[in-house]
Amino acid sequence: MTPLAFEALYQAEWQELEELLDLVLKRTSVKSKEPLRGERIAALYRRACEHLALARARSYPAYLLDRLERLTADAHQVIYQQREFGAAALWRIVARDFPRAVRANHAYVWLATALFAIPMVVVGFIVYFHPNLILSVVDGEAAAQFEQMYSRSGGAIGRVRDAGDDWTMFGFYIRNNIGVAFQCFASGIAAGVLSIFMIAYNGAMAGAVAGYLTERGLAETFFSFVVTHAAFELTAIVLAGAAGLKLGHSLLAPGRRTRRQSLVQAASECVVLLYGITAMLIVAAAFEAFWSSSAWVPNEVKYGVAAVCWTVVLAYFTRQGRDAA
Amino acid sequence: MAHDVLDTVVAAETPEGILLELRPAGLSARFSAFALDFLVRILIAYGAFVVAIPLMGRFSLGLLLVLVFLLEWFYPVVFELSRSGATPGKSMFGIKVVMDNGLPVTPAASFTRNLLRVADFLPLLFGAGIVSMLLRQDSKRLGDLAAATIVVHQLQRPPKVKLDGVAPVSPAVLLAPSDQAALVALAARAPTLTAERLDELAALAAPVSGDGGRAGPNVTRRVLGVAQWAMGKRR
Repeated sequence: MTPLAFEALYQAEWQELEELLDLVLKRTSVKSKEPLRGERIAALYRRACEHLALARARSYPAYLLDRLERLTADAHQVIYQQREFGAAALWRIVARDFPRAVRANHAYVWLATALFAIPMVVVGFIVYFHPNLILSVVDGEAAAQFEQMYSRSGGAIGRVRDAGDDWTMFGFYIRNNIGVAFQCFASGIAAGVLSIFMIAYNGAMAGAVAGYLTERGLAETFFSFVVTHAAFELTAIVLAGAAGLKLGHSLLAPGRRTRRQSLVQAASECVVLLYGITAMLIVAAAFEAFWSSSAWVPNEVKYGVAAVCWTVVLAYFTRQGRDAA
Repeated sequence: MAHDVLDTVVAAETPEGILLELRPAGLSARFSAFALDFLVRILIAYGAFVVAIPLMGRFSLGLLLVLVFLLEWFYPVVFELSRSGATPGKSMFGIKVVMDNGLPVTPAASFTRNLLRVADFLPLLFGAGIVSMLLRQDSKRLGDLAAATIVVHQLQRPPKVKLDGVAPVSPAVLLAPSDQAALVALAARAPTLTAERLDELAALAAPVSGDGGRAGPNVTRRVLGVAQWAMGKRR
């Protein structure tokens, strides 16, 4: 068959596919009156693939190959486009995938918890008994600022803030905390070393501030402030660190995969964790900005709400999504 | 062959058994795209700042911080998941993000590669990312490696070939598709070349019209005639 005869024979099919693709990709101003027939595109795409293979095998002229290559490449993109999001997918992540992913990676989660909690407790006690050591973690100005923030008079916490300030803090917490979590995860690619450092550093800092303020007699304002949102924030940071450890471990010990395959696999398993972590930190920021700082709530109520939050978070990770198919 | 060493084309096979050619985008195109996107982000943030402060007063600061957060982390994700698969900067420089197998990038992969931008930034000023891109033939940064994505040049529309009034000539020898493509590319460049240079170049291709060893305007016309044939024109 000559190229021209080939072209004349299948021209109509290619043209139909081109027009359908133009509609899908919105490359024309023409609006189709009838609903798009996906099965027709798929059928025409398979035909065009056959034609391209034939044309290549028969060394048909370049213009023909070029047209068929463009056609199949466009159709390939349209047909295999993946749309994972939508309300159903989000609900599946919340109701099932996220808590399951946490349980599936429990070894990393426990390790990250230890890396966070041990420096926190150790540094917390050291600073409590030797308050001057806070200056080896932060400078004097920052220490004074912490103290002023949590003092009963004039601090940012004890005072009734107006709504504008609450929103400012919300934005600040979103930007800062989610950024830290993402960094804990991403730095895991350096064989996990940086993740270990970042988790332990954040734990030590939290411990230092807590120990220092307790020694100063400000424990009441400090703990009533942090205890509620910590349920979401500390867990999320620990989980982000766990994801980073998993990433690092996949590179250090790829098992029977190549290092690259192992990394791709680990990263794809971490994604659902990161979706969940992001959501948790948004919740944490909302609590931290609008609830934790509100002076009109008695501390007893705050501790009660905090107990509920911690219970819900822990129950969510241990129980949720076990039975659902 | 030098062709094999220099060419960075990655072939991706579709389930239908067709090979798609992916042309990885190198450091310069990607840096330019990044710089442009950076500018766009700053302009968006600045625009929001100018509009929001007088309008909403003190509420706006928190919302602006949220906006900055979204611009920092999710600006590329949103655009990569759009139909074009490219941020404004990328589409300006004709590149886009696809999966390793040539498919459109998935939300999970886009999220991964953009979170790992932090890792590429280390130790400073995208050092890790730049080293990775320069060392690898497919110019992937660490985020691309982990997400199994690749930044490629978009298929470009072939240049318009103006060969009106050139009579098609059947080739004197069997021409492989790549030979034909070279001839069509020569025809596309013809209007930008001086007549003498065009004759020189056409003389190199003269065997295709059976004029091997000769040169001159007539040979050029016949070589372009073969290009006309390769474009599908027949007498």
